Formats: sequence, structure tokens, C-alpha cells
Amino acid sequence: MAVPSPTKAPPTLLWTTFRRSLGLGRLFIVVGLLYVVVLAVAESLTAPASFASSFPIFLPIFTVLGSMGSLMVFSNDRTKGVFEYLLAYGLLPQQLFLNVLLVSLMLESLVLGLMLGLGLGIFVATGNTISWVLVAGLSIYSVPMSYASTAFAAMVGVFWTSLSTPRSGLNSPIGLVPFIGIGPSVLTLGLVAVLAIDGFTDIYLVIGAAVGVIAALVLLFLGLLNRLMPRERLLSPI
Amino acid sequence: MGARGTAPEPRSTTRGIGISCRSVDSGYLERTVLHDVSFQIDEPAIYVVLGPNGAGKTTLFRTLAGILRPSRGEVYVGEESIDRQTSRDRMHYLSHVDGIPDGLRVRDALEFYAAVEKASIGDVDRVMDLLGIRELGGKYFSQLSAGQKKRVSIARVFLREREIYLLDEPTTSLDPKLAREIRTLILELSREKIVLYSSHNLFEAREIGRFVLVIKEGKLIRFDRIENLRGARYAVGVRTLSPADDLSGFTREGDYFVRELSGPEEVPDLIRDLEGRGVKIREVREMDNPLEDLFT
Repeated sequence: MAVPSPTKAPPTLLWTTFRRSLGLGRLFIVVGLLYVVVLAVAESLTAPASFASSFPIFLPIFTVLGSMGSLMVFSNDRTKGVFEYLLAYGLLPQQLFLNVLLVSLMLESLVLGLMLGLGLGIFVATGNTISWVLVAGLSIYSVPMSYASTAFAAMVGVFWTSLSTPRSGLNSPIGLVPFIGIGPSVLTLGLVAVLAIDGFTDIYLVIGAAVGVIAALVLLFLGLLNRLMPRERLLSPI
Repeated sequence: MGARGTAPEPRSTTRGIGISCRSVDSGYLERTVLHDVSFQIDEPAIYVVLGPNGAGKTTLFRTLAGILRPSRGEVYVGEESIDRQTSRDRMHYLSHVDGIPDGLRVRDALEFYAAVEKASIGDVDRVMDLLGIRELGGKYFSQLSAGQKKRVSIARVFLREREIYLLDEPTTSLDPKLAREIRTLILELSREKIVLYSSHNLFEAREIGRFVLVIKEGKLIRFDRIENLRGARYAVGVRTLSPADDLSGFTREGDYFVRELSGPEEVPDLIRDLEGRGVKIREVREMDNPLEDLFT
């Protein structure tokens, strides 16, 4: 069967979806920022030395939480019948899936920037100085792991949402995906710890490999979605 | 006319871009809902797609709109497959669900669809005035009544002009006055455009349609001019507390005084008339309903 002609393609809706994701996911962003404030204030005042290790470790978890807006938009649009219109206008399911991934990464950039600014700002404002250990932890672990975990959570969420009947609350994919998004970080840290016990201390290599594997999984999920997810799964019930 | 057909005696002077369905089977995943549906429509008019709930009307509309891919057969707009973007750009689809994105105010929702349709902000203002929803612009969609939601949903249809309109139950949830206003707008539209309009209400079909497509169990069982259905009789029987009553304008069938009406919308007026005449009504029932005849 012929694919739609690209001569007069419909808009990608990337920017519109981003704005809607910010609106719908604002509670997740606020909660994520609150966690950062609590962590930064508590550690800056009581144990500033441990902030250099704990902040980079927790940051990817908080940013995954703050990037849930795009998945909320996807889930809501499916339930409310918005995809029906978008498909009728000629948007392809692949574009919808890719939109979720891209908007998640856009949100991730915003949330990560806010959290870094807030966490480091509080740390410095309470009289502490930023060490090279902290900078290394953030740049080598936190930033790549945040993007990888967010992309992973988004793709698992899209897959799960598409396959499930609409539900709400904590029992829905949106309620559970943040926990799945934490998975890559926890597994990577666990792997680093286990390998360290065995005498393998090249943390950079382990983290790099973990991020690579997660990125490959994200691409695999996207490919599977594009090839296997029938468009009927995107429609609201009759 | 059977499951295959063209609009009877189309006027050649008004032919434009048409829509055709050629031996289409379609449905959801492993479940086929439409079976071997074929028709061709060229003439601007309202084509009412009639059928009971579950007959396959929404599946037909989703297939015509290119949302569902037929498992067999093809849908064409003019001579081009529905899968081509140029075909999509000639068509407007109104779903039976609102399809308004969550968390948006009414105006934002219409601007969202204007972005999808490449329509302008001026078009948003125009449709808000046309549908009388300007005062709702600042409200969240979730705050609206069912009728207001439907109006916002319908407003999308008028954002940009298209050649073919697929309207899946556009007047559901609307009060009679607004439903009539919407039908008037659609009638206006149908002077130069092809409008496929789904309904399970024959009387609504008779009010606005020129042609009718009857769907039953996923098959197109009739494609005809609407006037060929108009001969069908809708009659109500009235049983009074006093069987000895003699009501003028009614015929007697057993215990019932029977009167033919143009549709069920005239029943309340009939009851008011009888009550005004001092008749004590015990029961009012449908004696003949052409809709049931059509579907059974």
C-alpha cells in the first residue's frame, strides 16, 4: 500500500506538544524540583561532603520524574481521540512516537537545567564550593544517565500505554513509568558497585557502556513501535 | 440497490472530486467489521450513513478518513488513494469523540487544530463566532457541558474549507435547537461539498439528507435517494382511559387510535394537543417505525 505523499506534509507539532507537556506535567516538574531542594538544603547544611556523590546519583531519578509530561500528553491524546484526528490529517504513527521521544528529551533538557541550577545554587548559597568530584559526577554520570533514562522511560511508557486499555491513577502506565525510569540508574549503580567489589574500578567505562546499552534499547523500542504497533491501538474506544 | 452502487442519477453539472470505496474489508486487528463495501459518490449533497449501533458506521468513517487501513480493497478520493497526503488535504473528518486535547482552554484547543490544519488565527476567530462559542474561549474544555463540547468539536470542521466532509454523528448530545442550527450549517455546506453524515436517526436523515447509505452488520445494504425512504410510515397509537372515545383525525386499530406523523419529534405536540382536548391518555406507543423496518 502506498504511503502518504510527502508533498504537503502535516506539521510535526513538536513545539505545540512541548508546550502542552509543560502544562500537563507541571506537577511532576514541581515535585522533582522539590526533591532537589530538600536534598540540596539537607546535605548542604548537614553533610556537604556527601553532596558531591549523592546529588549526581539522585539527579537522573528526579529528572525522569520531571519529564513525564510528554507521556501524559501521549496517554491523554490517545484516550481523548486526538490521535484519530491527527491520523486523519495524515500524521503517521511513527511521527507520534518520535514526537514523544523528542519532547521528552526537550523537557529533560529544561528540567535538568532547572535542577542543576537550583541544586548547585543552594549548595553554593549555603557557603559550600563546587568540587571537581561534583563536576565530574554530574558530567560523566548524571547528564548522560538523565537523558538515557528519560528516553527509556518515554519509550517503555509509549509501548505500555498503547497496549493497555485506558486507566487512571497510580495503576496506569503514567503512574508506574517513573519507577521504570529509575531502573537504568539503579542497575548501573549496582553494576558499578558489583564490579568494584571484583576489583574493576573503571567507572567511566561502565557508565559509558550502560548509557550505550540504554540508548540501543530506546532505538530498539522505537523501531518495534514503528514496525509492530498497529494504528488501531492509537484510537479511542467506539 | 445492493451493496455496490453509485449515487443514483448524479447531476453531471455538479461533479467535482468524489470519494469511492472499492471492495473494502476493514476493521480492528484481527476483527473485520466492514465486509466488501463498495460505493462511489461524486455529487455534492448530504449522504446520511444510517445504521444501528455496532453496524460499522464509525469503522466506515475511520476507513474513509484513512485512519484505518483496509485489509482488502481501496478508498479513493478522486483518482488518488486515500493514503496520499493530497487526498487527506481534501477531506475533513469529525469523529464521534470530541478529540480535544486535555488541559487546554477552548481557544487554545482550536488554535492547536488550526496549527494542524495550517489555518490562521483569523480562522479561529471566525469559527468561534460562527458556532457562538467566543465567550467559552477562556474556559477549559473539561469545564464545558456536553453540548458546548460538541460545538467546540464541530467548530474545527469550519476552520478550513475542504471538498469532502466526514461527520460521524455530529449532532449527538446537542439540544434540539442547536442540533437544528448545526444541521442548517451542514446543509449550507452541502450545496458545494460532499458530506457523509452518520446517524442512527432516520428522521434526522430525512430532514437533511438527499441520499442514504444503510449499513447493517458491516455491509452496505442500501444506497438510495432519501425520498425512496420517505414513503415509509411512522405511526403512533394512543389508548385512552375511555375506550368509547372517538378521536377525530385518528383511525381505529383495535384498542388504539392511530395517527401518522412525520417522525417521533411530533409526538410531544400530539400529546399536548390531545390533553388540550381533554383526552385522558392511558398509553402512547409506536405502531410502525420505518427505522426498525430498515434495520431488520
